[in-house]
Amino acid sequence: MVSQWGIKFAVYLITNHFGKIVAKVCENLLNHGALTLDLAIRYTELSSEHVKNSLLVLIQHNCVQAFVAEGGDDDGSRVKTEYMVLFDNILHRLRFPKFMEIVSGDLDDKCAKIFEGLLRDGRLNMKQMVDRESQGKENAAAAAAVRESLLKLLMARYVERCPLPEARVVEREIITKKRGAKGAQNFKAPETKEQRVIEAAVRGDMIRFSLNADIGCNSDGETNPADTSVAETDAKEDLILWRANFEEFTRHLRDKALVENVRARMDDGAAIVLSAILKATRNKDKEVKIEKSVPLPPDTIFSEVIKTENGRTMTIDRVKAALVQLGCSNQMLYEYVVDLKHIIRWARNEEVESIVLKRYGRDAYRMFRHLSKENQFCPTDKLADATLVEKKEAPKLLYKLWKENYLHMEKLSVTGGNTKPVSILMWKVNQPLLWEHVLDEMYHGALNLKLRMASEQEKEEEIINTPKAKINESVPLLKKYKRLQNVLLLLGSSLMKLDDAIMLFHDF
Amino acid sequence: MNRLQESAFPPRKRQKVSEPVLTDEERLLFNLIRSRENIGIWTGDMKRETNLPTTVVNKSLKTLISKNMIKEVTTIQNKGRKHYMAKEFMPSEEITGGHFYSDGKLDIDYINSLKDVCLKCIFMQKVSTCEGCLEWIKRSGVFNTEVTTKQMEEILQTLVLDDEITQMISTGFGEFASISVGKTCYISKSKGGVRGEKKTADLTSFPCFSCQRMTFCSPDGTISPATCVYYQKWLDF
Ligand code: SF4
Repeated sequence: MVSQWGIKFAVYLITNHFGKIVAKVCENLLNHGALTLDLAIRYTELSSEHVKNSLLVLIQHNCVQAFVAEGGDDDGSRVKTEYMVLFDNILHRLRFPKFMEIVSGDLDDKCAKIFEGLLRDGRLNMKQMVDRESQGKENAAAAAAVRESLLKLLMARYVERCPLPEARVVEREIITKKRGAKGAQNFKAPETKEQRVIEAAVRGDMIRFSLNADIGCNSDGETNPADTSVAETDAKEDLILWRANFEEFTRHLRDKALVENVRARMDDGAAIVLSAILKATRNKDKEVKIEKSVPLPPDTIFSEVIKTENGRTMTIDRVKAALVQLGCSNQMLYEYVVDLKHIIRWARNEEVESIVLKRYGRDAYRMFRHLSKENQFCPTDKLADATLVEKKEAPKLLYKLWKENYLHMEKLSVTGGNTKPVSILMWKVNQPLLWEHVLDEMYHGALNLKLRMASEQEKEEEIINTPKAKINESVPLLKKYKRLQNVLLLLGSSLMKLDDAIMLFHDF
Repeated sequence: MNRLQESAFPPRKRQKVSEPVLTDEERLLFNLIRSRENIGIWTGDMKRETNLPTTVVNKSLKTLISKNMIKEVTTIQNKGRKHYMAKEFMPSEEITGGHFYSDGKLDIDYINSLKDVCLKCIFMQKVSTCEGCLEWIKRSGVFNTEVTTKQMEEILQTLVLDDEITQMISTGFGEFASISVGKTCYISKSKGGVRGEKKTADLTSFPCFSCQRMTFCSPDGTISPATCVYYQKWLDF
């Protein structure tokens, strides 16, 4: 379930991009979970026309997935399509500049242009892409060129075939899937309904990243491509819709965050080695939120390390030392595994601690760090002693932290002999709950940044609407204009940094 | 510094002197007080446990004090309460508050200057131990009171919690060469200059992270980002 401020932030983004009506539908889907069309109409109190169109917009932009739940108690004769909002994809809209940067850094301008079109329009087929490319040009862009760029984007997995328009989900499906013998040993959190729907809609890797029209259209796949005419292929191709593959970008950003965290905490050597491990195992892990890296033998790691310029300076011994630094296990089997979850946890802790320091001061910071290290209930006095905080001050600070959900508190009543019972307050850091809370605060903060941007723009509307030439003529106008630019720049860059933290807590 | 002198000596053993003659009530009270050893006991509890009337208790206490058998101590929990302890015991940390308390108050200035000196010591020596810091302090002559090992350990622990230093176990190699293998030692964090590089709250001066009014702040509330004073300050170009 998405937290309160998460919903508010998502609704704000949708309002900004698609207007109030679409946002209303989206808000109801976020609050109520998946809804059928009828229910969506009832909850939103909008006309069916409005709701239908809103859903289409949301589907076009990959923010809603339709599905049919099969099975259940009734005989299945009256199954209805339900619509599920994809919260993550709404937030990804905020990250489009980051995605763009990744693609432009990796592939050529033509690819970047096609990719930009996909981000802007949500989903496109080949014909639409070619048309878009031809716009404003004298001779129409050659379909072949577009096809070539798309192929590159598919190879890099930046683009994928859209998922099934309507996924089929079996209710009360046995959700513990076997993921190999090793996977079964690890406890896996039960999947949410959202995950199940997404999983049911996604196509197999072969089809998902294949440009070939025949794959996927012919379920039997027996027809020989040579038999079909060009026209037929084109017609088939137009049936296929393409979109940006957000998963790949999340993975990309996750790897970057992991490497940068290791660099900050350890050194460049460890960062280079981790980066090599992640590169060598790219596309091997199915999910973004993985706990451990895929096991790799040292030779593979080393040959990946020396592919990079900085890595070439490293000897095998240094690589091995870095692996030890990374806490690699499984050396016995001559395969190395990095505990990625541990790095993420550490990074999250750092974030939370730095907020505590900023907001509540150094004494609170020390007590908080002590509690999170101990990871068990600790009474006020003992805590004050261990952190050298004035005994009178400690309860006040702790109370503040507790009130704002940063600490967990429990009252203990102690009776000793015939003295009357004294109540002792016990404190603890409850990490999972706290992380949820901090994430919610981050959504809140992100919304605040967005709102401030809007209000700054509104205040200076006059300047925004004044032609540039006129602004340049007047000194006060120019000053105001410069200020607005600086303000928006600062707010924008802060939002992007805050979004890195949001991803750390939500996506990785 | 009274506190330091006291903590520098271990609790004395009961003195074997011939005990003065006491009345039954006085003896009862004295035994009770002494049974509480270095924790002592509050007058309220004495009355309840001995069932003696207030006047008797007060009178007996006076006698016991005049005979130099008990003493009054201040407790950190309740400075106003009259608390007594047999003369031969040193008040425990529970009563005084701990190493850095004097007269029931934490000596913050003292702690901070100790912290500063330790940080400097660890930074200069690259890596140091508890004893190393003690030695450094002794040689520096900054403090005219003696710092105990226990105090130093507490100071180092708080510096770890402050994220100023890191606790390590010596490997005996490289930078740890001067320290025997397996010994707990400390290194400075500011050395590498990487401290806090990955923390978002440090990367931006974005005010909501340091704001204590976040719970009251909403888009259309009295406190809102559009009118927020912290933002005003932040965006004041
Ligand atoms: S907008 Fe202002 S009042 Fe609201 S949380 Fe941020 S800093 Fe605090």
